[in-house]
Amino acid sequence: MRKIINLALAATMTLGLTACSSNSSTPASTDSSSTTTTTPTAETRTLKFAALETAYGADVWKEIGAAFEKATPNVKVEMTIDKNIEDVIGPTMKSGDFPDVIHLAVGQKKGLTETFIKDNNLTDLTDVLSMKIPGESVTVKDKLIPGFTDTTITNPYSDGKTYLMPMFYSPCGLFYNAGLFEQKGWKVPTTWDEMWALGDKAKAEGISLFSYPTTGYFDAFFYALLNEVGGPEFFTKAMNYSEGVWQTPEATQAFDLITKLASYTEKTVPANANKDNFQKNQQLILDNKALFMPNGTWVVGEMAKAPRADGFKWGFTSLPAVKEGGDRYSYTFFEQMWVPAKAQNADLAKQFISFLYSDEAAAIFAKVGAIQPIKGMSEKLDGDNKLFYSIYDNGAKASMGAFATTDSVEGVNISDTTFGTVDSLVTGAKTEQQWIDAITKASDALRGALKK
Amino acid sequence: METTKGRGRFIFFCLTPAVILFIIFLIIPTIDVFRMSMYKWGGYTDDKTFVGFQNFTKLFHSDKFYQTFQNSVLLIVIVTIVTFAFSLLFASVLTREKLKGQNLFRIIFYIPNILSIVVISAIFSAIYDPNSGLLNSFTNLFRSATETPTLWLGDQKIVIFSLAGAMIWQAIGYYMVMYMASMANIPDSLYESADLEGASRTTQFFSITIPLIWVNIRTTLTFFIISTINMSFLFVMAMTSGGPDGATEVFLSYMYKEAYTNSSYGYGMAIGVVVFLFSFALAAILNAVTKRDNLEY
Repeated sequence: MRKIINLALAATMTLGLTACSSNSSTPASTDSSSTTTTTPTAETRTLKFAALETAYGADVWKEIGAAFEKATPNVKVEMTIDKNIEDVIGPTMKSGDFPDVIHLAVGQKKGLTETFIKDNNLTDLTDVLSMKIPGESVTVKDKLIPGFTDTTITNPYSDGKTYLMPMFYSPCGLFYNAGLFEQKGWKVPTTWDEMWALGDKAKAEGISLFSYPTTGYFDAFFYALLNEVGGPEFFTKAMNYSEGVWQTPEATQAFDLITKLASYTEKTVPANANKDNFQKNQQLILDNKALFMPNGTWVVGEMAKAPRADGFKWGFTSLPAVKEGGDRYSYTFFEQMWVPAKAQNADLAKQFISFLYSDEAAAIFAKVGAIQPIKGMSEKLDGDNKLFYSIYDNGAKASMGAFATTDSVEGVNISDTTFGTVDSLVTGAKTEQQWIDAITKASDALRGALKK
Repeated sequence: METTKGRGRFIFFCLTPAVILFIIFLIIPTIDVFRMSMYKWGGYTDDKTFVGFQNFTKLFHSDKFYQTFQNSVLLIVIVTIVTFAFSLLFASVLTREKLKGQNLFRIIFYIPNILSIVVISAIFSAIYDPNSGLLNSFTNLFRSATETPTLWLGDQKIVIFSLAGAMIWQAIGYYMVMYMASMANIPDSLYESADLEGASRTTQFFSITIPLIWVNIRTTLTFFIISTINMSFLFVMAMTSGGPDGATEVFLSYMYKEAYTNSSYGYGMAIGVVVFLFSFALAAILNAVTKRDNLEY
């Protein structure tokens, strides 16, 4: 996710004029698609597909497009894939011309997907779940790993309807240097108490317990922690801004844990916790200067060329349990694909999405390391990926979802309030109580704006 | 009679293209910002609702906005004063004193202005790095290495000044060249007669140089306001992303965050309107208080 953001921002800085050039083809196609919708004959129809170019590259989408064209006669896929996709499709959308399918996850800096959710501008995709996958005898629902379409992200209006389809997923948890643990004979902690004990032991050797790339990485961490302290029900309550939820003993426990963790964090981390320097914080793990960091599987590729300590080996674990034998959680990050409400070829878009879950498409995606939440996918993996994706087979529970969608509330940003403050906890600029008060205030402001 | 009419028509047709361009690219967008600030709008689609001045009332009740306001004003004040002092000093040294390699210095001072902000941010991120940075390596000479290093970009109390440091470094050359240009126009005879009268360099600087480039100084003060507001956004985006925990959030970065990340485009435009009015008012005030009789030479 961070990688995507970084790519997008790096591209923004170079101020690519690509925005103009790749746009030029859209006006012409508007005519053709509007005429085809009125006369749905054997004529060739055009599906307009827009996607953010991420670490997986643009070629994989072209391959998918070609495969879909082959599988469905009389359909042409017109692709717009760009690192600044918001800037490319934004202007035409303002004038009322929308792509049919958009692959762009929530959590991006420009918040395009969030804006569409908040404006109720999405097409209901629930019926995609019961659609037969082209060329196969099973439905999309049969193939998907259960749980992925029951989250606050995919069903933003909590009405049981799915508006965003889960695409590529990645488990998030704590990354560490497994080599170091072997050398020192340390055990990877399974409870937070063991974690603190290890922290004190490491401190004696001049190693900090914890580092984090930027405070944004606390989302996955915090969501998983909320599940550990209070279970999924409590998590859902917290994500829906229930009144008084932040004053419960469970929430207090979570806040206490993070505050304590802040005191075990490498002191220089806040100085580098921005998108320019966050890799320095990740480097702390590679240099054996800190033991754990919250991250996602993309970090391996991101740090592939970085220097590392002798005997370095990536290790990956879910969060330690709050008490002996308690549940351990690992947050699942996934990207989403959706159809704007005003898309002209919504039916074709749904067909396209269902095609993406076919064995043929999954194989194309897997080639570039993009793993979809399809049953049995994780068994086909090898190397580091096998370790990462098998985390749920090793006893960790999956947690999914995020703060529930609301109508936009000006000046209130719950993610910033909740996660951004961790910097201040580490530097000591704010106290735990100030943090909780701010979250409560933001949560109260958002409750009234919840989507109903 | 015929000729004046013809000339009037000629002038009209000559001016029309420029006026049309001016209206399309300057007047209309500005009015549009004001109009947009009255809407609740996500920014990407064509659904918007008119909400009147609601965005503004919310804005004036937001602590976050006051924090960004403080940060921006602090930056404007520090950057203006320090840059102004240094560039005046350097300009006067380079024009008045006989130094070897004057041109070289002029180029060196001007180079930061040519560099892109992203490059400057990368340079200063390296300088401010807590462990291997230039600044901390230097301060480590005076204290034990086991102490916690100063977090130039990580300590909420320091970070805004670190940002100002980078901005000043970037701006000095530009203003220096502007001051040098007008200083070069001051006739040497004035300084020669001052020398004969026994006036010191400092007296000459304050009694001759400053009054004679006053018009130029007034212009640059307006530049300082505008460029600090704009530049601080670029520096914040490239160096700190507004962090740690919003300590370096400035006008435009907050506007960007609200308009895009928080899907409140209308609210973002309201911030834009406030910034517009604020910088206009500030420039007007500065212009009024610095008004002096124009000196001729």
